[in-house]
Amino acid sequence: MRSQPAEAPSSTDDGAAIEASGVTKRFGERTAVDGVDLFVPRGSAFGFLGPNGAGKTTMIRMLLGLTPASAGTMRVLGHPVPAERETALRHVGAIVEDPRFHQHLTGRENLKVVAAVRGSDADARIAPALARVGLSERAEERVKSYSLGMRQRLGVARCLLADPQLLILDEPTNGLDPGGIQEFRVMIRDMVEQEGRTVFISSHLLDEVEKICDAAAIVDRGRVITQGPIAELAAGGAQHELIVGVDDPARALALLDGLAEVREARLSDEGLRVLLSDGPQAAAAVNACLVSAGLAVVRLEPVRHSLEQRFLEITSRLDAPPQEVRS
Amino acid sequence: MSALALRMVDADLLKLRKRRGTLAWVLVLALAPLLILYVVKVLQHSSTPLQHGPAGGTPGFTDGVRLLCLFFGPLAAILIGVEAGTADVSAGVWRDLVVTGRSRTALFASRVPAALALCWAVMLIGYGLVLIGTYAFAGGLPTPDAALVLNGLAFTLMATGAVCVVAVGFSSLTTSKPASVTALIGWQLVASPLLANIGSLGSARDALLSQAVVHFSPVHVGDRGAAVSMSQGTALVVLLAWMAVFTALGAWRTRTMDA
Repeated sequence: MRSQPAEAPSSTDDGAAIEASGVTKRFGERTAVDGVDLFVPRGSAFGFLGPNGAGKTTMIRMLLGLTPASAGTMRVLGHPVPAERETALRHVGAIVEDPRFHQHLTGRENLKVVAAVRGSDADARIAPALARVGLSERAEERVKSYSLGMRQRLGVARCLLADPQLLILDEPTNGLDPGGIQEFRVMIRDMVEQEGRTVFISSHLLDEVEKICDAAAIVDRGRVITQGPIAELAAGGAQHELIVGVDDPARALALLDGLAEVREARLSDEGLRVLLSDGPQAAAAVNACLVSAGLAVVRLEPVRHSLEQRFLEITSRLDAPPQEVRS
Repeated sequence: MSALALRMVDADLLKLRKRRGTLAWVLVLALAPLLILYVVKVLQHSSTPLQHGPAGGTPGFTDGVRLLCLFFGPLAAILIGVEAGTADVSAGVWRDLVVTGRSRTALFASRVPAALALCWAVMLIGYGLVLIGTYAFAGGLPTPDAALVLNGLAFTLMATGAVCVVAVGFSSLTTSKPASVTALIGWQLVASPLLANIGSLGSARDALLSQAVVHFSPVHVGDRGAAVSMSQGTALVVLLAWMAVFTALGAWRTRTMDA
């Protein structure tokens, strides 16, 4: 199924596949989701990243109308939810928690059940969806004989019956082996890049989100701590940082302290760590400064920040109240 | 019924008829007692014809209808109704149906005709067995006329259909298959006959579904029914009220529960 997703059902196309404002969910005294604001642009893979129990699944359940929100407003594909839930979800495919099926039915029969609920167009999508996830040959077997990975793939096939503009996948790589994870990544990127679909992935696997997604929101204890493009999230405030190797680090440090393009410089085990005020131009200025002073520059390497580092920085503040950090 | 609704009913029917374990029990409950009834009566008649009349004829028809409509048929209907009411929730696929955006009321509504279709298909086979036993083993006994045969058929469908609809509604309300089966069979086999025979309850017993159903029986039901006398209108109202109340409760729960 490599066609472009269906046109949006008459919606206000404001560029957001999902938009949430102040969404809150309380279970008695406990607040599972606390005033979440979210903006998921159309045509992107968006990660919803947080530790277990952070409120990811609860947020997804509210977006899909599985449970009501205690407060706040949500729009899915431009339609307010839950007011226009039926229209909003017409072109949404979702896997919430682990994909479940009628065990006594075959893979194809399970899809037939959902296709009947989706509408007449969905029936014609069963065979292509099974082919897309590589289950055509096992489609006539009962689901109870499927491995967890096959069920995950059948779950994705079930999503494709909607010809979705938006896929919402909750921990989609759980139970997949490394080969399956790789296939899954390729499939998701293909859906986004080739077919223009939006994919919203909830996960606690940082590596997964970093490899699949264009942008992400980090959520902790029910609150979105920060959201934005992956590269910006990973960098945090320190977007341009260099490791500089020179023959005389102490002299270099003294020289760089007075340079306008340098915000901060310090000695580390790897060499000089230099925080720049700007991008490549500042790096060139640092190099010129050191070379013109007669120092031998043997290394000039941009620091690559990992999302994992940033995630742990944010979410490890377990004893302190979560702080708002906006990139 | 729209094409979409028909497709949804067909999908629910697929889930039910592929549930082989439940279907086997349904067939055993609905058909085995009839087979046993006629086999035993045939053996009795062949061994002691002076003491035991032929297995069929109008008496055999009466016995068969009683067995199918008032005892084992409703139990089979309960199994089908409960399976229809709880299949999606117990398999964990309820939320996957809800996220399609389809209204929950429509999802509930498709369960009722699917359950009735399977229930009535099984009951038609059972009624076919009754007719075979009635006419094949009639001997010299009189046989039911066409009107009685048609009345018997309508009664079979009504008696089991009403219980099936109540079972769909009740199990959709509880969402628990074991609890629903236990409660409904307990009610059908123990509580309802017990209440019907407590004379001090007076006209309150009119509200019992089993008493309302018995009122429409085209054959004499003996000591298993007719403990309460009520008008045709009252019986009809009671029958419809049971179905309406449990359908409404099942639909309400389906609409409002977290998925």
